[in-house]
Amino acid sequence: MLVSSYFADTSGTVIMDEEPERAKRWEGGYERTWEVLKEDESGSLKATVEEILFQSKRKRVIESHGQVRLGMMRHLYVVIDCSRSMEDHDLKPNRLTSTLKLMEAFVEEYFDQNPISQVGIITTKNKRAEKLTDLAGNPKKHITALKKAVDSVCVGEPSLYNSLSLAIQTLKHMPGHTSREILIIFSSLTTCDPANIYELIKTMKTLKIRVSVIGLSAEVRVCTVLTRETGGFPQHTIASLADQDAKPSFSMSHLDSSSDPGLSLGGYFCPQCHAKYTELPVECKICGLTLVSAPHLARSFHHLFPLEAFTESPVEEHQGDRFCQACQGQLKDKSVFSCPACRSVFCVECDLFIHDSLHCCPACIHGQCAT
Amino acid sequence: MKLNIDGLLVYFPYDYIYPEQYSYMLELKRTLDAKGHGVLEMPSGTGKTISLLSLIVAYQKAFPLEVTKLIYCSRTVPEIEKVVEELRKLMEFYSKETGESNNFLALALSSRKNLCIHPEVSSLRLGKEIDGKCHSLTASYIRAQHHGDPSVPVCRFYEEFDSVGRQVPLPAGIYNLDDLKDYGRRKGWCPYYLARYSILHANIVVYSYHYLLDPKIADLVSKELAKKSVVVFDEAHNIDNVCIDSMSVNITRRTLDRCQNNVDTLQNAIQKIKETDAAKLKEEYRRLVEGLKEANVARETDVYMANPVLPDEILQEAVPGTIRTAEHFVGFVRRFLEYLKARLRVHHVVQESAPQFLKDIFDKVCIDRKPLRFCAERLRSLLRTLEIADIADFSAVTLISNFATLVSTYSQGFTIIIEPFEDRTPTIANPVLHFSCMDPSIAIKPVFERFQSVVITSGTLSPLDIYPRILDFRPVTMASFTMTLARTCLCPLIVGRGNDQVALSSKFETREDFAVIRNYGNLLLEMSAIVPDGIVAFFTSYVYMENIVASWYEQGILENIQRNKLIFIETPDAAETSMALEKYQEACENGRGAILLSVARGKVSEGIDFVHHFGRAVIMFGVPYVYTQSRILKARLEYLRDQFQIRENDFLTFDAMRHAAQCVGRAIRGKTDYGLMIFADKRYARADKRGKLPRWIQEHISDGSLNLTVDETVQLSKHFLRQMAQPFRQEDQLGLSLLTLEQLESEEMLKKIAQMAHQS
Repeated sequence: MLVSSYFADTSGTVIMDEEPERAKRWEGGYERTWEVLKEDESGSLKATVEEILFQSKRKRVIESHGQVRLGMMRHLYVVIDCSRSMEDHDLKPNRLTSTLKLMEAFVEEYFDQNPISQVGIITTKNKRAEKLTDLAGNPKKHITALKKAVDSVCVGEPSLYNSLSLAIQTLKHMPGHTSREILIIFSSLTTCDPANIYELIKTMKTLKIRVSVIGLSAEVRVCTVLTRETGGFPQHTIASLADQDAKPSFSMSHLDSSSDPGLSLGGYFCPQCHAKYTELPVECKICGLTLVSAPHLARSFHHLFPLEAFTESPVEEHQGDRFCQACQGQLKDKSVFSCPACRSVFCVECDLFIHDSLHCCPACIHGQCAT
Repeated sequence: MKLNIDGLLVYFPYDYIYPEQYSYMLELKRTLDAKGHGVLEMPSGTGKTISLLSLIVAYQKAFPLEVTKLIYCSRTVPEIEKVVEELRKLMEFYSKETGESNNFLALALSSRKNLCIHPEVSSLRLGKEIDGKCHSLTASYIRAQHHGDPSVPVCRFYEEFDSVGRQVPLPAGIYNLDDLKDYGRRKGWCPYYLARYSILHANIVVYSYHYLLDPKIADLVSKELAKKSVVVFDEAHNIDNVCIDSMSVNITRRTLDRCQNNVDTLQNAIQKIKETDAAKLKEEYRRLVEGLKEANVARETDVYMANPVLPDEILQEAVPGTIRTAEHFVGFVRRFLEYLKARLRVHHVVQESAPQFLKDIFDKVCIDRKPLRFCAERLRSLLRTLEIADIADFSAVTLISNFATLVSTYSQGFTIIIEPFEDRTPTIANPVLHFSCMDPSIAIKPVFERFQSVVITSGTLSPLDIYPRILDFRPVTMASFTMTLARTCLCPLIVGRGNDQVALSSKFETREDFAVIRNYGNLLLEMSAIVPDGIVAFFTSYVYMENIVASWYEQGILENIQRNKLIFIETPDAAETSMALEKYQEACENGRGAILLSVARGKVSEGIDFVHHFGRAVIMFGVPYVYTQSRILKARLEYLRDQFQIRENDFLTFDAMRHAAQCVGRAIRGKTDYGLMIFADKRYARADKRGKLPRWIQEHISDGSLNLTVDETVQLSKHFLRQMAQPFRQEDQLGLSLLTLEQLESEEMLKKIAQMAHQS
């Protein structure tokens, strides 16, 4: 009833009663629903490929990768292919420049998210592998090295074997509780190896070194095997270069400011009007929506649900262990604080810390994890 | 899963099914119901074999009186093994589902070379040697001699089989070649004769084409198979050539010389036997008077060579008097041989029909038609009488006598061409007599007439209507199925121009053209830079490949290509080629990347699959027309035009396109596989060529990809390869190209399948 009135309102015509319409359905022509589903105008099934891609993207968001779990302390070597094929212009201005640019961002992001981890960079060209930077925890050093590398010439063929064994030399001395990883950015379709790479893959497997590959051209068999055997992320090949963010464009916030309106590649797009902004948070100049990123929201989230104040009680009344649940110190003060939810007790220092910085009760969280 | 195919309960051993498999089974069922013959095309890698097997087995179970036997003919031993493995899976599924043990007997049969377990014999290398050695140990007179004199060696495996094996039938089960050998070893029986004996009561027999098509072998092996059998020819796109080859004879000077030696040996043997055991010859003479019928009731091991024609009436008749005694017969052969020698001393090409030849032979050396017809039969009898053990030596005289019998039996469908030298080397005398069969239906006709259903199937049979015409039969079903895909995993591109707009073509006029060769080189070079792992390139012939590769070498193109990938080349030598192939696969495996240069119609194009990374792109340089200057081909074309109203050009194009399709089809061996198919010749863009490609390739050729330049090809390929490199799992296919039982039974899907069948 609601539906038909809606139609009548919007189109201005009167919709017929639905019952006879449904009864005549088989009298109508074929409904080739499968055709509508799949073929685009060129007769190919490209749409379905994109559909599949989209779904797998969704999946990646929803469920984390079963086989891969990143550790807290990571030792990562990034191998950058600097062979002849990096001069290809399909990524603008060329593959090398854009790769190095993205690497800079990656290094920053990496240290942002993994503050106690280390990264090192290896380049491979001319059948050899060289260390650009050693494993280190300082982003600045890497970024300067990356900036310098932009001017290097790309020649010869890469060598997977050499770069992997170079990385192994260092990684195998890293302590066992840290995760050892190699990320290969591979542009060439061939590799020049001095020995059988499958032996090396076996050694890496025993050393628990995880290798992931980003392919810039196409799926190379040995990389697929490499990632599968060592348990890295499956070989990921960049799908298309026509992404929205691949085109340089102006940011909306720069339009009215007189200071130089630079073109930029990435950015944030307003979900309503697709205006681009390079920095968040901001209010959209066009539709007035407030644009924020997820971390911003997360950081302000606790204000919505503030942690309840702990109940204060004199220490004499407290039964059981006289230890603070958080710092494990003895409860020496005259009053203790207990969480109303889990009834754990804390000392006054911890109570302050929990309410000022943590915004959640560690004992509650611990209890949740345990169950 | 259990399927309902048009009222028939079919057990299908997998949890998922492709929609085209379902429609394939529907068509097959229709063929069996009608008790007629069928032509079915379905792309490779879509599970043809298992669909065939599960439907026919189900049919056999449901109507045991209608279909008693399945005869599955395949081309090579690995293919035979694959079929048996599929069958094993199916049978396991059956016993799991129904809970009862199976009473099905299925076995593979191959030559002695693959089945012999005799330690000495099996250590020989050549098939012919093994056959000969086996014969020398198992022939009836050898065994008779052994009876009298135990020092004469015999094969203990055969003896054991002969004394016990025949009473106990092979227990039900699935036997591949190794299983047969194991069983033979355990029991101490000869697996080869065991298999040959067991195919008579087996439910499913898997063997090579030749056991049915080549009359020389078919007579021995497949003679007593029941009429109510279903015969399946898998990978049958070349079946006409197999038929023709099995009926053709080539005679060179060398053959004649060796034949001369054979005749001399025979003469000596006759002399010797005359002195020692004249009664034997008398006995033979008596038998021949009584007719061959009785002579034919010989022991199976003696029947080493069979009559190549075997029309039944020949067996009823008595051997003509002129060749009845051994000396006369040897003299007769000698005369025939001299005549052939004289014929080979020509200086110009002679082409004549069989009747002309017979008339000439009658005029010149007074050899009549009738004794010629009995030549093969008579020789067989003589060899048996003379108790010559090592028959392999007598292949030359056997060949000549086969020729005599064939030429005097068939007046139509054959031609005789005598060439004094090869076309390529006109100065070197190398006379060859081609007795060439032009009508493939002669060899296959008995098969169509004898068995109630014959199914011809392959991945590339297009255009479908030509096979019934050249094989001269009337099919009840003809259908071509396409591959339903969840993603477009094949990308056919027709490259018509180079970057400099020069038309690319391998046609005769531009064959030597520098610009074309350079552009072909550029194409390969560019592709080698963007295609990962393996590329297979096909040329139209060895000569053409040699020319082009030499030219590329001079221009430095090869050197550039080698920076991207290693290059391997197929040669006519089988050992060299398999070595190259092995190294090629290694290079693809470890990421170096490789290119295999090979030849359409060669070994690589027919039998080798390039799955996944072994063949990410196939490049077909030129249209693989058969060498049209060959006189045999010309004669055949003429015959086709006169007898079947097939125009020369139609046949040539059909032949070229089926080989091109075979070549490019090497890359796609399943739905998870992907590959580029590059046709580098502008002639492919024409409707008459394109229209002859199989449907599953054709429907992916868009108008936009008809006349590309090298650059455009590179761009499209790059895009395609990136698309395909995205992760693809089985779940993505579900519901589109891979169905569960529920999905299959849904209304919508059934409608869609019916739609698909309609189109064909």
